[in-house]
Amino acid sequence: MIISQQLLRAENARRVRDVRPELAARVDLLTDEGLLAAREEVAAASEDPKVLAVCVLRGFDLPAWLGETYAFARRVGHEAAAAWRHDFTRTVFLAGNPVNLRERFDFDHVADDGSTAWLGPAPAEHSTALRRLLKLFPATAELPALPGTVVELPADGPAGDRAPVHRELYLATAGLTIAACLVHLHHLVSEAVLDGLLGPGDRLTLRPVPHLVGVTGPFAALRIGTSHGQPHQLRAYAALSAGRTA
Amino acid sequence: MNGTLTAQDPAVAAQGRRPGRPRVLLAPITVTPSKPLTPSHLKGLLWTDVMYRASSGLADVTYRYSPTTYHLTEQTLGFWEYLDRTVGDADYSGLSEEQVGEMYVGYRARQEKAGAAALRPYAEAVETHGWVHPAGARVLELWTAHYARLGMHDPGLLAHQPPALGAEESVERLSALGFCLDLRACGGPVYLDATRYGLPLRQIVDSHGRPNYLACMMRELLPLAPSFDEVVLLYDRELEADYHLVERVLVATGTTVRRVVLGRVPIDGRIRSARHGGWQGHTVDALLDEVGEGCDEAVLRLGMRLYFIAVLGTGQQQSFRKDVLRQSLARATRLLSDGRSPDPAAVPEVLARHRKDHLHVNPYRLTAGLLARHRPAPPRDLLEAVYL
Repeated sequence: MIISQQLLRAENARRVRDVRPELAARVDLLTDEGLLAAREEVAAASEDPKVLAVCVLRGFDLPAWLGETYAFARRVGHEAAAAWRHDFTRTVFLAGNPVNLRERFDFDHVADDGSTAWLGPAPAEHSTALRRLLKLFPATAELPALPGTVVELPADGPAGDRAPVHRELYLATAGLTIAACLVHLHHLVSEAVLDGLLGPGDRLTLRPVPHLVGVTGPFAALRIGTSHGQPHQLRAYAALSAGRTA
Repeated sequence: MNGTLTAQDPAVAAQGRRPGRPRVLLAPITVTPSKPLTPSHLKGLLWTDVMYRASSGLADVTYRYSPTTYHLTEQTLGFWEYLDRTVGDADYSGLSEEQVGEMYVGYRARQEKAGAAALRPYAEAVETHGWVHPAGARVLELWTAHYARLGMHDPGLLAHQPPALGAEESVERLSALGFCLDLRACGGPVYLDATRYGLPLRQIVDSHGRPNYLACMMRELLPLAPSFDEVVLLYDRELEADYHLVERVLVATGTTVRRVVLGRVPIDGRIRSARHGGWQGHTVDALLDEVGEGCDEAVLRLGMRLYFIAVLGTGQQQSFRKDVLRQSLARATRLLSDGRSPDPAAVPEVLARHRKDHLHVNPYRLTAGLLARHRPAPPRDLLEAVYL
């Protein structure tokens, strides 16, 4: 399977249609112009999001953080999830030490070792005080070399109607900063949890590659964004493979 | 008086102590030696000097003021690198503070900043053998003369006084105290983290590893403060938020901290940072030339202290006024030739009245007391010990 521009546009259009049907109805997301118009509108809306989540990190340990992102997303209720999706699961990443903040803020999820914590998703004003206290997670640092690690998601509840599965989590690392990596994977993983694609006891093999080229599908989910410096080009930044029995 | 601490070993700090006397550390903000002293600077220096000399009548006081510690900040190293790049090998020994200050204003006005690599040789020279750029050395030399003329204790402007802790050690010490968020492994900065007290994160080392003045202060005060019974921090109002952080950190080391915040001295109603210039005609150098001309030394010293401490107070409502300064000099003349019978109380007793619940003497209360009418004249030995 080739991740063509055609495929990326179709998938991008589907996501916008799911989240903002009124926007998808007004513009043709398969054309250059429609793509740009939608992007500008979404960017303008994200300047002033109604609902967002805040993720506080005191360092960067990708495998551990993936597990915690899963655990966080599992706790998001249906109503909050719907509102959050309407703002494209917007999440702000802040540098901070959750251990120092736990007494002041009632986090919705905190890692056992206190390395990461989440507030929300909730109306933006809910996290104003926290955002004033902390700084954005450093934006410019290049991603370090990542190991091809297996992340075992906790068996934190009934598996539902399916047995645990094993998926590949591909990440396109060329030109990627740590901050961008957090953004892409947070969208992909948390939405996959809300969609039931990731569940208790599932396993994820992290596969960092420069570009998602030659990666054979099928995919359960794609994280798509604009290609750097090429506003008409879409790029797959991350992908979750279809599951196989774990 | 105990003089300046030149080594940070607590055992050294304890030397020369008189048994039973409390130990007090005065740690004022330092002035970067790249511009002329202005009335705002002078106010802070005179307040500290009176606090030091008065408190020394009741406690063993250490006045810590180390230009060495703060040479490592980007604003100082960047200026020196700029001078070497643009001026080259020049003779700085004959320059005035104003001339060096003009160069500094030129440096601050430039948009581009030197990279971390360009500053590294400067940081290494300061760090390894106490090197000072001749422009900085010249300004400190001129300030030493001002201190002498005004009878201010010289806390070691020209001395090599490195902080006791290395940069890395102080980050480790902060981490151990739970006050550090170190993101260098993610290509980020180091923050001072007192968020548990509701204080915002404050960057102290940038993502290129360059420390700011707070990082330098931590290297100095973390090892020093715990060996004192009280640490007094004197600083400008603009730095209030930073000093709340410093207080939290030092309290966590078991230190009792007193913050003394001083407003600046507006010139014609405006408070300007010296880095932008605008001090022409209002430098301490120019002031001493003009007001000090033909003035008796004792009158100058006492009158300056009356004005900058008792008249201006801690606030910053009053603009600098030469006519009011001259009135203070006239008051000093009268005080020094006072025919009233002096206060019979011993000097320590007079000083202790102005100490309240802390170990240091409050310069405002002590100095304003000199001006009070219907009171006995201040004992001559008090004036000698504290004001002349």
